[in-house]
Formats: sequence, C-alpha cells, structure tokens
Amino acid sequence: MVSNLQKRYLMGKKAVVLLLIPALTLIAIFLIFPAIWVLKLGMTNETLTGIKAREPDFVGFQNLARIFSDRFFYNALKISLLFVFGSAVVGQAGLGMSLALITYRKSRRLKTLVQSIVILAWIIPEVVVAYLWIAFLDKDFGTLNVLLSWFGIRKINWFYEHPIFTIIIFNTWRGTAYSMLLFSAALETIPPSYLETADIIGTSPYRKLKDIILPNIKSYIFTDLILITLWTFNVFTPYLLTGGGPSFRTELLPIYIYRNAFKYFKIGYGSAISTVVLMINLLLAIFYITLSRRKKA
Amino acid sequence: MKKWICLLLVLAMTVFVIAEKITIIANAIKGGKNTQVVEWFERFLPDIAKELGVQVELIQTGIKDEDFKARIVLDIKGGGGADILWIDGFWVPEFVEAGYLRPIDDILESVPCWKYYYDSMKAMGSYKGKTYLVPASTDVRMIYYNKELFKKAGIPVPWQPKNWEDIIKTARIIKEKLPGVIPLQINAGTEMGEATTMQGFFMVLLGAGGNLYDWESGKWIVNSSALKDTLNFYKQIYVDEKLGDAELQVSPGAREKTFELFRQEKIAMYVEGTWMYTSVLNPNNASWGFPDRDVRIGWAAMPGRGKPGDPEFVSISGGTGFAVNPNTKNPKLVAEVLKRILYIEPQLTYFELKPFVSPRSDLADSCWTVNKDKFIAETSRALVKYTTFRPAFPVYPEISFQAQLLTERIVTKQMTVEQALKEFATEVTRIVGKENVIEKP
Repeated sequence: MVSNLQKRYLMGKKAVVLLLIPALTLIAIFLIFPAIWVLKLGMTNETLTGIKAREPDFVGFQNLARIFSDRFFYNALKISLLFVFGSAVVGQAGLGMSLALITYRKSRRLKTLVQSIVILAWIIPEVVVAYLWIAFLDKDFGTLNVLLSWFGIRKINWFYEHPIFTIIIFNTWRGTAYSMLLFSAALETIPPSYLETADIIGTSPYRKLKDIILPNIKSYIFTDLILITLWTFNVFTPYLLTGGGPSFRTELLPIYIYRNAFKYFKIGYGSAISTVVLMINLLLAIFYITLSRRKKA
Repeated sequence: MKKWICLLLVLAMTVFVIAEKITIIANAIKGGKNTQVVEWFERFLPDIAKELGVQVELIQTGIKDEDFKARIVLDIKGGGGADILWIDGFWVPEFVEAGYLRPIDDILESVPCWKYYYDSMKAMGSYKGKTYLVPASTDVRMIYYNKELFKKAGIPVPWQPKNWEDIIKTARIIKEKLPGVIPLQINAGTEMGEATTMQGFFMVLLGAGGNLYDWESGKWIVNSSALKDTLNFYKQIYVDEKLGDAELQVSPGAREKTFELFRQEKIAMYVEGTWMYTSVLNPNNASWGFPDRDVRIGWAAMPGRGKPGDPEFVSISGGTGFAVNPNTKNPKLVAEVLKRILYIEPQLTYFELKPFVSPRSDLADSCWTVNKDKFIAETSRALVKYTTFRPAFPVYPEISFQAQLLTERIVTKQMTVEQALKEFATEVTRIVGKENVIEKP
C-alpha cells in the first residue's frame, strides 16, 4: 500500500519535472542566458563601432567604478526614483485606490463607466499614446494650452518647464487601470457583513477604511506595489514624449542605458548600467517581500 | 502536360526567389527627408537592374542621422545589412576600425571616373591607406537669412556681416523691430546631435581661430581662448540677450522644429549647410520648402570673430558617399552596380535634382549642369577656399558629444563658461588620455 502511494508520488514528481522542462528551457534561453551575457558584456569595454567592437578588452569592475562617478548616472537615478515614487506609488497606486474606493459599493453603471475610461488609457498602443500626449501638451498647438488661453493663461511649454511632472502625470494616466482593477477585485473579497455592521453602529468613513478595508486588502496592496514599482522602474515610454530631454531632465535609467548603448554605442558600459539597474530592482523586490512577510507575521 | 507546367512554374518561382538582389540603403524617403535621392534612384536603378539581370532595391529610411547610423551598425554587426551603404563620410574611421566596411580599392580600379575625384574628397573616404567610400557630394556652411524679414526690420539686403558683432547688431534690430521672430538660429545642445557640432559649434569656434584638434601636435584641445570666446558667444546669444531660443534647442525634435519655424518666417537667420537650401527649403519639399526660395532666402558667409589674426570667413564641410558592406554575398555584382551609379549621366541627373558641391572635377567642369545652379556656383566659389574638415578620427563622435554638451550647459544656464570648460577638459582627457590633450593660449 505504502509502496504503491510512494510509487504514484514519484511518478508525479517525474511528470512535474517533465512538464517543467519546456518552461525552464525557455526561461534559460531568453532570460538567464541573456542576463549572464549582460553581466559578461558589462565587464568589457566593448563598443558597437571603432576598434573595441572587434577587440574588446576585459576591464573587470572598471565600468562600475565609472558609473558611480558619472554625473549622468546620479541624474538618471534621481529622476527614476522621483518618477517611480510620483507616478507608481502616489500616482497609480494612490489614484487606483481612490477610484476603487469611490466606485466600491456604488451603482454598477458608474463602476463600468469609470473602469472603461481608465482601462482605455491602458490598452492604447504606446506610440499612439505618445502622439496623443504630444498633441495635448505641445506649446503652440497643444489642446491644453489652447484651452488655457481661453481663460487668459499664458502658453506653457510643459515639456520644458515641468518635464518630470509631465511624465509623472503621463505615466499615472497611463497605468492607473491596473491598480484600480486589482484594488476593485480586492475590495470585493471583504465580507459585506463587516461594513454593514459598521454602518449600523455609525462608524466614521475614516475608521472603516483604517480598521476594516485596509487590513483586509493589505496583501493585495503589497503585490500591487511590487509589480508597479518594478514596471515603472523599467518603463521606456517617456522617451517617446521627451527623448530624455530637455537637457537630460527626463532621462530615466532605461533611457540612460539606451543612450549609452545604442546612441553612443558603448555597449559594454550600457550593459554595466543594466547590471546595476537589475541589482536595484532586486533590492526593491526584496524590500517589499520582507515588508509584506513581516506584516503577515 | 499539366505536370510539366506545374514543374515549370515551381522552377520559375525558385529562380525568382533565389534571383540575385543588390540592396542599397540611404537615409531618404519619398515625399520626406531627401526625397530627391529616391526620385533619382527610381530614374536609373531599373535600367541597371535590366542590364545586369539582377534585382536592385533601394531601402528607404527617413529618420534622424543618429538613428540611421545605429540601424546600419546593428545591421552589419548582426551579419546582414544592405550591400551598398550611403553613409556620412565622418563615420568611416570608426566603422573601419570595427570591420564594418569593405575596402573598395579593387572596385575603384575598374571605375574610370575615380581619377576625377578631388584629393580632399578621396581623403574623406579613406582611412589608414585604404579607400572605403566614394564621395557622393560635399557641402559648405553659411548663414541663411530671410530677406523679407530683413526688409521689414529695415536692414539693407544683400547682407554680409564682417564679424560677430555685426551678426549680434543685426539680431538686436530684428528682436526690437519684429517681436515674435527668433533673430538667430545657431544650433546648440545634444538633441540636435552632430548638427550642433558641425553647423553651430564649429562655425563659431573656427571663427575665433580655434579648433577641437591640434593638427600640429596631433592632440585634442581641451582649453583655449577660442573655446572660451565660442562659449561666450553662445552665452551672449542665448542667455544674455536672448537673440536665440534656448528652449527650442533642447526640446525633442528640435531640428525639425527649427525648420518648421524658419518656414513660418519666425526665424530670421539660420546657420546651416548647403543641404538646407537645396533640400529643406527646396520648392519641391512639401514640409518646409519655399515656393519663392530663390528670391526670399539669401545667404551670407559666416564671418570670423573680428580680432586681428582671426579668419575673415569660415566654413566647414562634410559629405556623404557610397560604401560597401563586408557582409555582401556578391562583391562583383556590387562593383558593377556601383560603377554604373558613378557613370556621368546618373551623376549629372543627381546634381540636377539635388544641387550640391561636386566632389569631382569632371562634374564641376560640366558648366551646363552642376554649375547651372546659381546657388551652388556662387557658394562654391565664395566658400570652398575657406572650408575645412572635421578631425574625423574614430574617437571623434565622443569628443563631438562633449562639444554638444558644452553648448547645452551654456544655453540652458546649467553651468558657467568656466565650469563647462572644466568639465569638458576632464571628460575629453578621460576619453583620449592625458598624453593626447593640449591646452592652447
């Protein structure tokens, strides 16, 4: 009897391994191998043109040393952090949560309407979105400035005067749908009786939020924050709006990598920056995971 | 019977599929950037194809020069790419070092017209003793100005400044008399890429008797009074007196925006190359062309700073040309195609469609075509004697980027002239090494 169970269990294990092989192979080919390749490239001074394209030298950690003394790296890091905090944490998660709460326990029609509008911003292709925003914010012909001029407000060159703010608003608009959907679904998991009881004893909305809603959807919030932080950290779309400018003021880390690797052809240096960004992403992920585990315990 | 027909069809199709094909890539697109280039190829490529019995295809791209370069580099590095590459001459050294170009001395042996090319143009296409590029055309640089705006501001035309002060004086008048018009566009910032170095920075620097590279000692110049004066000129234009639009220089798509503004007559003076007149402002250009270009747009030579010993006028030249991809499967066919492109008839048609300074004497002598264009004839006569070339070493693009940063930091007020120059010196020294830099008085 026991041996029979064991046998079946072993069979199962084999089957599991067998079923995992295709997925693992794909991950190895398209994820692990390129990652190792980037690590290797990052230790060379390989370029895409010039003599170092043919005969790159191994330079070890020299690239890393240069990155940490490169003013453009700190510029990009600062902008990326601002961008992630502004557009992912405050913007997408904050606005997503607000929208989810506003439509929570409201009429189905309102919910569908709000969700449809927000999701629309999420599903339009990036290039189209970029053109829409350029058309909206352009200094001379942009819709926004035309609207403002009706109220006698001077034309504002948004991309020049408020570059970071502009891309933060853009990315919030672009990505709020995900957080909103996730939080809406999370709110549905709260047993209705909790809030109904609270209503009967006349609890204030703030206490309802703090003592009932938030504790019940805490794990969802962490999941959402991990995902959108990592996504936002690696987002490239603002390049289509500003090209990283004016004068590097919207140069996020991915744009900084792109500029070095594919505009100035320093593929080795670009790979080294990618390695650093990968490390930052890992740290962020670890930070969130430990935070969520501690809360659970 | 049916079987045979089927077999024949299959065979015919196989032949069609494996039929040899020669591809040419150029940064040109019909109806857009360099549209004349496409029209030109369309005129004679079919004949070449018919004569040689191969397909000859033009790959059109109408993008920023930097992006075009990235595309070609990645194509070749990936083992592919078009057979014939129409590229910028100053890319040659870094491409050759990377093994991206095929030496074409063997091909040129069978090209009779090669002996007519000027030596300076041959030099542009060669590196370390071998030839890699057949120059297609070259250019000169100058100041374009809108005569109508000048008349409105009460400035007499034709206009020819004698020194920088004259340019500034004129700009001040325009600023005062014509509000809303940007007096002067002299490229600055990294957004415009090489167009900043060539059209803007170098034109000012040369006028102060300076350069980025010291040809005598073979070293890169990291500090000089000419560099300082160049930056002060930029500062005066963009920061102190606001005779140019600094915001415009660093906004995305800056170069196209300036063309647009020039077309709308919102820019009065613009420092640019031959290409601006013959392509951007060409009456055929749907986006930026002036139907009455020849009467409305004037040109003046760019003067030097005006101190004793400074050059009277300055110009700097670049040029594009045909290179051969080392990945090409059929160098012999490529040679045949290239040879036919360089025949006199297509060449004359080219200069008719897109008037440019010719790189070869036999074309320049054909007064009934190349020099028929008044603009080319006049600018060549006036400016070729002043013109010079870039120090196109493999490391040049990196130094050029540092020069663009210099101008950007000044016009956006990020740094003072001293700070920017200090940063420039540090970076250039890091790029080429301490032993390869020099400071000039």
